[in-house]
Amino acid sequence: MTSGNPAAWEDLARAAVGRIGGAAEDETAVELRELLVIWLDEDPYALPIERVREIVRLRPITPVPHVPAAVRGVISLRGEIVQVLDLRCRLDLPVVPAALDRRRHRIVVMSGEDGQLAGVLVDRVSEVLRTPAAATRSPDARESDAVCALVPHGERFVSLFDVDRLLDLGRRTDAGAAS
Amino acid sequence: MAVRRKRSPARSKVAREFVSEVDDLLERMRADLADLGDQRVRGELVPDLVNRLFRSAHTLKGVAGMFGFQGIGALSHRLEDILDDLRMGRLDPGACALDLLDEAVAVLAVEVDLVGREAATPEGSEELRNLMQRIESALHGDAAAGCVPEPLAVEASLLRALTEYEEHRLRESLRGGRALYVVEASFDLLAFEEGLAELSESSRALGEIISTLPAPGDTPESQICFSLIVASELDAESFERRLDLPAARVRMVQAGATLATGSAHPPDAADELGKDAAAAGRAAFGEGGEADEEPAAGDGEAAPAGESDASEDTPARPADDLESLKSISETVRVDIRKLDELMNLVGELVIQRGTIGAIAEQLLGEPRVARLARELAKAHKALERKLQELQAGVLEVRMVPMRQVFEKLSRVVRRLRREVGKEVRLEIHGGDTELDKLIVEELADPLMHLVRNAFDHALEPPDERVAAGKPAEGTIRLEAYQRGNHVVIEVSDDGRGIDLEVVRAQAVARGLLAPETLLTPKQTLDLILLPGFSTRDAITETSGRGVGMDVVRENVTALGGLVHVESTPGSGTTICLTLPITLAIIQALVVGVGDQRFAIPLTSVLETLLVDPVEILRSEGRELLNLRGEPLALRRLHVEFGLPAPAENVRQAVVVVGLGDVRAGLLVERLEGQQDAVLKPIQGPVRSVHGIAGATELGDRGTVLVVDVAALVEDAGRRREAA
Repeated sequence: MTSGNPAAWEDLARAAVGRIGGAAEDETAVELRELLVIWLDEDPYALPIERVREIVRLRPITPVPHVPAAVRGVISLRGEIVQVLDLRCRLDLPVVPAALDRRRHRIVVMSGEDGQLAGVLVDRVSEVLRTPAAATRSPDARESDAVCALVPHGERFVSLFDVDRLLDLGRRTDAGAAS
Repeated sequence: MAVRRKRSPARSKVAREFVSEVDDLLERMRADLADLGDQRVRGELVPDLVNRLFRSAHTLKGVAGMFGFQGIGALSHRLEDILDDLRMGRLDPGACALDLLDEAVAVLAVEVDLVGREAATPEGSEELRNLMQRIESALHGDAAAGCVPEPLAVEASLLRALTEYEEHRLRESLRGGRALYVVEASFDLLAFEEGLAELSESSRALGEIISTLPAPGDTPESQICFSLIVASELDAESFERRLDLPAARVRMVQAGATLATGSAHPPDAADELGKDAAAAGRAAFGEGGEADEEPAAGDGEAAPAGESDASEDTPARPADDLESLKSISETVRVDIRKLDELMNLVGELVIQRGTIGAIAEQLLGEPRVARLARELAKAHKALERKLQELQAGVLEVRMVPMRQVFEKLSRVVRRLRREVGKEVRLEIHGGDTELDKLIVEELADPLMHLVRNAFDHALEPPDERVAAGKPAEGTIRLEAYQRGNHVVIEVSDDGRGIDLEVVRAQAVARGLLAPETLLTPKQTLDLILLPGFSTRDAITETSGRGVGMDVVRENVTALGGLVHVESTPGSGTTICLTLPITLAIIQALVVGVGDQRFAIPLTSVLETLLVDPVEILRSEGRELLNLRGEPLALRRLHVEFGLPAPAENVRQAVVVVGLGDVRAGLLVERLEGQQDAVLKPIQGPVRSVHGIAGATELGDRGTVLVVDVAALVEDAGRRREAA
């Protein structure tokens, strides 16, 4: 699967989300995991698709006072008010003040531990990756507490997020408990 | 956490279902009982009330049986007996009987409460069984007094058709010297319910309806005829005149004693009518056994087929059981979340409406479509009005009277009184004041805490009170009233008051206050609301307040409210809770600071002003405004929310907000108008943001944060104390 029209990925991801829950259509005995691949610049990351509720185009984000810098603000999603995290800031990556581009940037809305929604602002969304669950590798030198595994993807590895830890801003400074 | 104890999950589902089922019932019984005592008509009980109580007791008995609480079932049954004897006139409706009823309902309430806390035994408490015995002896002791029916001067056919109760009412009416009328009217078969309801209502205004019976009469097939037996004080002429329904035919069957003239014997036709009507009525409701057998033979011709069909479909005179079922189904229990969903939908409609409004406005500037644009604008106005009505309607459904909580509290006080043996009177005012159901529910625990505090700690023992020149019996007073867009709930006592010295010493001991700080009495009182102030130490008990005032405050603040304490040493304490009427939907004032917008709930806005920078005064490092001679503390919203400072030397707007007795001015750059808003919680990793109550979507203005006025105003107060 290669990147084409970025908007098409929205439909793709939705279709993938819709498939979850039904029986695996793949009759192979290997247990497959479906991951949504997201990008920050040239770095790929992945989110377990069962936690992804929807992917929306970038829309105006209302800043909120007195919150950690990782919280960029709130958006309204069909009447629900949802916080949006700046993924770069959350991962302590240098924040490039690049102009946000409505055509490319996406907000991935996930369901948190207690059913509360939270959004993550990403540069782009590329594909749904199906990978055998056994193929994941634990990262040796973990860059972030929120990354729980490395998933092989062609020639490279994709960093898989632990969604609960990603959304837990209070634990950021912890040295990441073993998964 | 002392206050915020939620209903324990251990409580079984059965118990919960039972309690929720009968709580309303008990509440209604209590209300009816109170009315029964108050509203006597010439020393007689109001029959409607006795009947309603009877039905409630009957239902309670059924529900208790279904859930297997035999004790409650048995006592309800006894209650039914008393009420039945009362309505049949077998029991003297004196104070003694009413006390017995009162006590029975109180014991039932305690018992149901025990079930709720899973502390009940199926056969009921000791107290319940004792009461049952007392009722037993009261009923049988009085049995001798039951009157032997004397012969009545009413034709036998009419009498035969009546139930025992109706006959009793008939006797009572005649004894009271009232006249008897038969009111007869025919209605269209398809729409007789409304007609009959109108007829009943008009008749009830003139006297008591003793019985309603479908009558055969010589009506066409498409019609149905009813006759009502009505007892009234009025003479025939004024009865007919005041009934004023052209369709109704009135016949007097028994003149009242006050009317000396007139025949005691009714015309034959009325006699016949009474008989046939009664027979048909009984037959239709399967009560033939109770009525006379005699008309059975002639029944076929007397009652046209069409009529009995109609009676079967919609019984115009249901039996007791049917009626009790009906009275329950008149109210609907709705999950509050469903109402929330409705409210959300209304909110989204309001947003759509805003979009349409904006389009209409734009089009008005287009000369080519001016006519259509005007029409669109008009339609938009109409839509706006209807939406407002819809919104108000949904809101109203959520409203419940404070009485629900107050009655629970009075139960608690009664129980405490029995257990502790302290003489305390509970006064309740303003139980009709309405609040959002969610708020009322969240208030139950804090209020319970306040009442317990007052009971346990604030009110002195009787000897101490008498020594202080106060009545031995202490008083706790609960009062609710509406003030503007808020509801104020006061819990006051006439106890020892709060000892400021002890409070101060306690705050210093806990490191909450520097020893040298000077405080006004009010500021000292507010210390008891600080987290960490009160503990279970005896020292706070002697200060007149128990533990957990900070938790009370926390709970109330979470509802967007304020707590306020007043106390006079020696003569009592008042705790004042100021709350918004609803949390679901707000009218918001939209303000702008830099390129951001905020919504301020209009319920807290007192007024808005424009000020020149030179009008802003400074005093002790704080900014003030001279508002008609009163100092008004100013908060700059951009400072509160860490936003870039706006350009200086420009006229700025001040939104004067107030909650309870505290006021503050919020300095903003722009006022952008009012809008309806559905207040939504903010979801995500950060659970609560200081100064922000939630957010709302305002159509073309995007997502806007809603300012938590209570938090900002409280900050203003705190800062003043710290200064």
